[in-house]
Amino acid sequence: MTRKSIDTEATQTPAPLSAKANKGPLKPEEAELLRKREEQKSLENELTERELRATNLRAELGAFERRYLHLVGLRYAELDEYKAQLAERLAAEQPQNERAQQAAREARARASETKSGAGEKAEHEPRAFKASPEMKRLYRDVAKRIHPDLTSDRDDRTTRQQLMARANEAYERGDEPALEKILTEYESSPEAFHGEGPGAELIRVIRRISQVRGRLAEIEAESQALLRSDLYQLRLRVEEAAQDGRDVLKEMVEKTEEQIAEAKRRLAEGMR
Amino acid sequence: MTQEESSAAAQSGKIARTGSQALAMRSAALVRRGLRDLARDSNWLMRKVFHGPVSHAALSPDGQVCTLTPQVRYGAQSLTLFDVERCVPTLTLSLSHDADSAAGPARFAWSSDARYLLGAWGSQAGALQLFDLQAKMLVGAFGKFSRVPSDIAWSPTGAFAASACGGENSSLDLWRIQPPIDESIAAPVHQLLRPEWLDLQSTDGETGEAGAFTGYGRTVFSPDEKVIATVAEIGGEWADDLIAFLDAATLRKKSVFEAQGRVTDLAWSNDGNRLVYCSAGQAYGIDPLSAECTSLPFGGEQCAWHPHLPICLFFSSWLRSSAKGRLFLVDMNKISLFDECPAEGILDLRWSLDGSKAYAITNEGLAYVYEPELL
Repeated sequence: MTRKSIDTEATQTPAPLSAKANKGPLKPEEAELLRKREEQKSLENELTERELRATNLRAELGAFERRYLHLVGLRYAELDEYKAQLAERLAAEQPQNERAQQAAREARARASETKSGAGEKAEHEPRAFKASPEMKRLYRDVAKRIHPDLTSDRDDRTTRQQLMARANEAYERGDEPALEKILTEYESSPEAFHGEGPGAELIRVIRRISQVRGRLAEIEAESQALLRSDLYQLRLRVEEAAQDGRDVLKEMVEKTEEQIAEAKRRLAEGMR
Repeated sequence: MTQEESSAAAQSGKIARTGSQALAMRSAALVRRGLRDLARDSNWLMRKVFHGPVSHAALSPDGQVCTLTPQVRYGAQSLTLFDVERCVPTLTLSLSHDADSAAGPARFAWSSDARYLLGAWGSQAGALQLFDLQAKMLVGAFGKFSRVPSDIAWSPTGAFAASACGGENSSLDLWRIQPPIDESIAAPVHQLLRPEWLDLQSTDGETGEAGAFTGYGRTVFSPDEKVIATVAEIGGEWADDLIAFLDAATLRKKSVFEAQGRVTDLAWSNDGNRLVYCSAGQAYGIDPLSAECTSLPFGGEQCAWHPHLPICLFFSSWLRSSAKGRLFLVDMNKISLFDECPAEGILDLRWSLDGSKAYAITNEGLAYVYEPELL
C-alpha cells in the first residue's frame, strides 16, 4: 500500500523537508515545520509510552480485581448470605422485635449487594496480568498508528477511538492476533488527504501537538486517579506482603472461610 | 461498557473505556471491605474522634457522639457532634459564654432513631433542651430543675422520655415527647417525688438506720416500654442503692430490689426478661418477675445489651491482675466472655440500631468500635 495520507502522517515518516536543503536554504515556514515535526515525533513517542503504561496499569488492576473478586469477593458474598439467613432466622424468632426485623432486611440487602459486586464465579481462577515484550511492542505499533489524538480529521478520529478501545481490550486480554488484526484493518483502510504545502502542514502539526499534549494530561490524570484508588491500595498491600513471603489474599480467604464455617455451624445448631 | 456506550463515547470525542472500569465501580464496596479487613487484626477498631479531656459524652445508635467542648478562641463552649466512623465534627452549636460548663455536670440522651437529642448542662441545667438533629435546630426546652438531671432516658419508640434528678428536689419525671414542643409539654405526664416505698426498703438491716434518699440515678425503659427501671440512690459510704421497677404509664411501683453498693449502670435484655446492673464495680443480673438476683462472674461499671441478641457489652476499669480497664462482650445465655479489648476512661457505651456494631467513647475522645464480621 502506498502511503498517501497527510493527516496520518504524524504517525508515519514525514515528507523529507531536509532533502530541500540540497537545493537551497529552507523557507522560514519549512524550518518551523521541521522543528514542529521533531517536537511532534518526540511527543508521540512519549504518548505511546504513557498510553502503554496507563493501559498496563488498568490491565493489571483489572486482572487483580478479577482475582480478588474470585478469591475473596465470592467468599464475602457467601458469608453475607449466611449472615442474612441468620438474621432472618432471628427475626422469625422475635416477630415483635422491630430492630431484629430491620436488621434482617438490612442483612438481606447487604447480601444481595455483595453478591452483585462479587459477580459470577469463574470456572478458573483469573490470572494476574503480565504483558509479554511482544505484546508491548505490538501495542506501541498500534498506538503509534491509530491513536485518536494523532489525527485532526473528525471521521478518522472516531474510527481511531473505536479501534483504540478494541486495542486496549485486546491488550488486557493478552490477545496478540486481535491487536495485529486491528493494525492491519486500519492500515488497509482508505485515508483522505487534505491541503498541501508547508503552511497547511504546519497548522496540522501544531494542532496534533496540542492534541497529544492534551491526551498526555488526560493520561496523567487517569493514572493518578488509578494510583489513588482503593483497588490500587489493596493491590499494593498484597504485593508488599508478597515481598515478605505472605499471601494476603490467601489469608483473607482463610479468615473468611473460618467465618463462613462459624456461620454454617450456627445455622445448623440454631440460634444460641 | 456496552458497544452502544462505547460508540457514543467515541462520538463524543472521548477515549472509550474498557470493561474493567465498570467492574471497578461495581466492586468498590468489596474492595473497601477488603482494605478495612486488612487494616485490623481484631474486631475492635480504635479512632481518635476528638481531643479531650471531656467529662460528658453520649453515643448515638448511628455512630455519632455528642459532647461539650470549649471553644478556645471565643472563650465559650459548644455542643459538638462527631461522626465516630469518619472522625469529623458533623454539627457544632455555639452555646453561652459559660466556659466552665464543659467541665461541669451535663447529661445527654439520644432517641433510638438518633434524630433527637435531649440535653441539660451548665447554664441550661434548669430545663431539658430538645434538638432535632435532622432539621439541625433546637426544638424547644421544657422542665424546671434545680440541677442537671443525673440521667435522661428515651423510651424505645421515642414517644416518652424520663428525667431523673437528685438533690433537694429529687424527682423522676415522665415526659411525652411530641415535637413541636408547646405548652402541652410544660409539665411531665407523671412525676415521682420521694416515694413512699422508700422507707420500707432503705433501712439498714444491721444498724436499723434509715439510709438517706439522695435522688434518682440511672433510668431505663424496658424494650416494650411498659416498665421503667430506675435507681433510687441512697447516701452514705456503705449504703446500697435500690433498683425500682415502675409501671411506665403511671410510675407506680411494681417491685423494688436492694442492690449491692452504688449502682452505676442498668441495661434491659433484648427480650425484656432480665435486667443487668453494675454496682460497686461488679455486674449482676435480675429477673424482675421472680425477684431472683445473681452475681455475674465478672466486674462491670457500665453495660449495654445488644438490641436483639443475648449479648451484653461491659466496661470494667479493673482487671484482676492489673489496674488496666477493658471492654468485653458476654454471651448472657452461657455467661461466657467471647471478646475483649483493653480500654480506659470509658464514658459511654452504645450498640448500633441494627446491632452490627458497638461503640464506646473515652474522656479523651478515643472511640472503640466493635465490628465483628459475624455476631
